[in-house]
Amino acid sequence: MKKRVVITGLGVVSAVGNNLPEFWDSLVGGRDGAKEITVFDPSAYRIRIAAEVSHLDLEAHFSGKEIRRLSRCDRFGLIAFREAWKSAHLDQDPCDRERAGVILGAGSGGILSVEKYFRNRYRESKKSSPSLLISYSLATTTDRIAIEAGLKGPRSTTATVCSSSSTSIGVAYEMIQMGLADVMVTGGSDSLCEVSYSGFSSLKLVDPESCKPFDKRRRGLIIGEGAGILILEELEHALKRGVPIHAEFLGYGICADAYHLTAPEPNGEGVERVIRIALAHAGIRPEDIDTINAHGTATPFNDIAETRGIKRVFGERAKEIPISGIKSMIGHCLGSAGGIEAVATVMTLEMGTIPPTIHYEVPDPLCDLNYTPNQSVQGDVRIALSNSFAFGGNNACLVFKKFSLE
Amino acid sequence: MHNTIGMRSPNSELPTPDSQRCHRVVITGLGVVSSIGVGRESFWENCLRGISGIKPVQRFDVSSYRSREGAELPEIDFKAFIQPANLRRMDRIGKIVVSAVRLALDDSGLNLKQADPGRVGISIGTGLGSSDTVDQFFRSLLKEGPTGAAPLLFQTAVPNAITSHCAIEYGIKGANITFSHKESSTEMAVAFAYHLLREGRGDVILAGGGDELSEPLYHVYSMLGALSPGRGTGVEGMRPFSRDRNGIVLGEGSGILVLERLEHAKERGANIYAEMAGVGLSGSTDGLLRYDLRGDSIVRAMTLAARELDNVDYISAAANSTPDLDQAEVFAIKKVFKERTREVSVSSLKSMLGEFDGSGGIRTCGAALSLYNGIIPPTIGTSHLDPECDLNVILGQPRKKEIRSVLLNSCSNGGSNISLWLKQYDPDQ
Repeated sequence: MKKRVVITGLGVVSAVGNNLPEFWDSLVGGRDGAKEITVFDPSAYRIRIAAEVSHLDLEAHFSGKEIRRLSRCDRFGLIAFREAWKSAHLDQDPCDRERAGVILGAGSGGILSVEKYFRNRYRESKKSSPSLLISYSLATTTDRIAIEAGLKGPRSTTATVCSSSSTSIGVAYEMIQMGLADVMVTGGSDSLCEVSYSGFSSLKLVDPESCKPFDKRRRGLIIGEGAGILILEELEHALKRGVPIHAEFLGYGICADAYHLTAPEPNGEGVERVIRIALAHAGIRPEDIDTINAHGTATPFNDIAETRGIKRVFGERAKEIPISGIKSMIGHCLGSAGGIEAVATVMTLEMGTIPPTIHYEVPDPLCDLNYTPNQSVQGDVRIALSNSFAFGGNNACLVFKKFSLE
Repeated sequence: MHNTIGMRSPNSELPTPDSQRCHRVVITGLGVVSSIGVGRESFWENCLRGISGIKPVQRFDVSSYRSREGAELPEIDFKAFIQPANLRRMDRIGKIVVSAVRLALDDSGLNLKQADPGRVGISIGTGLGSSDTVDQFFRSLLKEGPTGAAPLLFQTAVPNAITSHCAIEYGIKGANITFSHKESSTEMAVAFAYHLLREGRGDVILAGGGDELSEPLYHVYSMLGALSPGRGTGVEGMRPFSRDRNGIVLGEGSGILVLERLEHAKERGANIYAEMAGVGLSGSTDGLLRYDLRGDSIVRAMTLAARELDNVDYISAAANSTPDLDQAEVFAIKKVFKERTREVSVSSLKSMLGEFDGSGGIRTCGAALSLYNGIIPPTIGTSHLDPECDLNVILGQPRKKEIRSVLLNSCSNGGSNISLWLKQYDPDQ
């Protein structure tokens, strides 16, 4: 029998809020997190904005020694983890640490530290500390969280970049299904860095002003950063602890376009397939879906392919389903995008509020769905999808449901 | 808010819940690109002969390091494996893994054109993926600023590019996932693929992965003090369980397994090497660069994976010639097998292949071949066992032996421990 898996903890760090309440208020209020880049010197770039995390009080979270040792990615991950862990009361309740694990998704990981090391090495200006190289592995943030909380259950890191932390949630769910864990820490963390910024710039995928998903004027993404962490827990385990339940995780799908290294399959077949796999895994019908948290990168091709894929699954009803493109506010957080968007999707179900797609002004005839333009919408939403698609057509789709015992 | 219930169309398809039945999962194809042989046959022959892939590094200059050696791949004509149009878009690690997939598919006799592409998946593990491409991209960025950022390098630099190359080359449209978690990356990829097939969520999954040896990677391992001979005066080399072991020698390569639902394999009359019978995952928390010092977590991974410990005749060890890991694994094996410990043969293929994050694919191919052929490859390089490592280690020469099941261990520094349990395939079971 499939075990029921619920979400009992949420934590987030993002450009629009460094904890869950701030983040959610910003999403509902339609706040844009894009600003001038400060994490590296952007002066050589034509476009210098990103949805950068700001006003993070590191001293409130870490000792001086920790601040020196932790990469930016580690810091976001640990702060979001602590919020999620505490909100799940796992800092107080006894929990078998051997049956609690961590599966995170990664993008560029602690590469900001690695960039620093290699910048010094190649410019031969000065030697840097080899400790910066600890972040060379994408596993570092995952390991740091497990070590901090003493978690001895299953541990791994998914690395499909733009869909990493959606995929990681699926893998974490499987650890519970396999009977290897009762509690899994999942989601992801990622930080801005020059390598990924320059890479997306070189592909001409960055919008010079703002991220405008599904709008005819869209010209690309705004890169973001942050962490979104969820605590997945086997239902009986959560009930025994008597902890509040945010939502239920019903299932997921992953698949490939097998089409191109960067471009999505244009007709939305890959998007259709991943949604259908997710629905089948969750054991529900297309008509059960009340809202969709879109991948919505605001690149010209993604938004068309995603729109087409949604139409292929939902037919005429596609136009009625409210869709949110929250990258318009938090940017594309790459390795943590799926995690942060999963947190938003869970909150959508819990609060009955659908966050908007902001900067939406000019409709595109090729993107003709209900994208919840500029204003959040209240509604009794029961089941929601969260989409993530990565370079190379690595697709993921998650299904969440408002929690009820039956 | 619209009333969604009213919108339900009458003829919409019914949900198809996944079958609750557990499927048996078998290994039907092996693809190996290794420093000791490309292709299953030459790899296995050299494995049994105890040939070492370790030599002085050729592909980049190591003169500024205390270490000199690496287990590098021979020159490979990738055109023999990959379509020219796709080859142009791949970096070296992409070519290595895509070639291993080609070899695995050919070995399995599976004709992808006759398979349902949505029910064929791929699950890849890689520690550092395209580390060389990332380095090239970064150097060019440093030198020339934003105009030096090369889009073609960037799109192949992401870790999942390897997996995407495979999906595109072979039209694999089912489950697609990439793991990157140090030395347990590929074992995780295999464990995940096994679970999906057991639940019937696919017919075939290509599972495994690999890594390449690059200059930046050599630099990082050297600076973190992981490479043999370390700071001491010892001889450089890979000597698992040896009393004079002093660190790792880096290797490279890729191993891919064709994992298949048993019914699907039987329907097409596939040759079956072995059955995947269990996986165990656990974590240790001794430090970011530390292995599981007491071996407790390795014990859990092994016992979770192998439901019939009495049938385990061989352990393909994670032992990588570091003082900490080898000893922890010995503790763990003794704790699990108690008085049976001496009956269980132990060998570390890393003695020939070197250590690298994505070694698990090749080592798992080796474990399947041991089961299939009833023979265990030797641990080479080690002449005097550490008295603390008093296991039944197969040294120097291969050992013929009826093997009912194998446990394959992987342990990452930082603490992810994964064991895979492979059984001899028994059609009557």
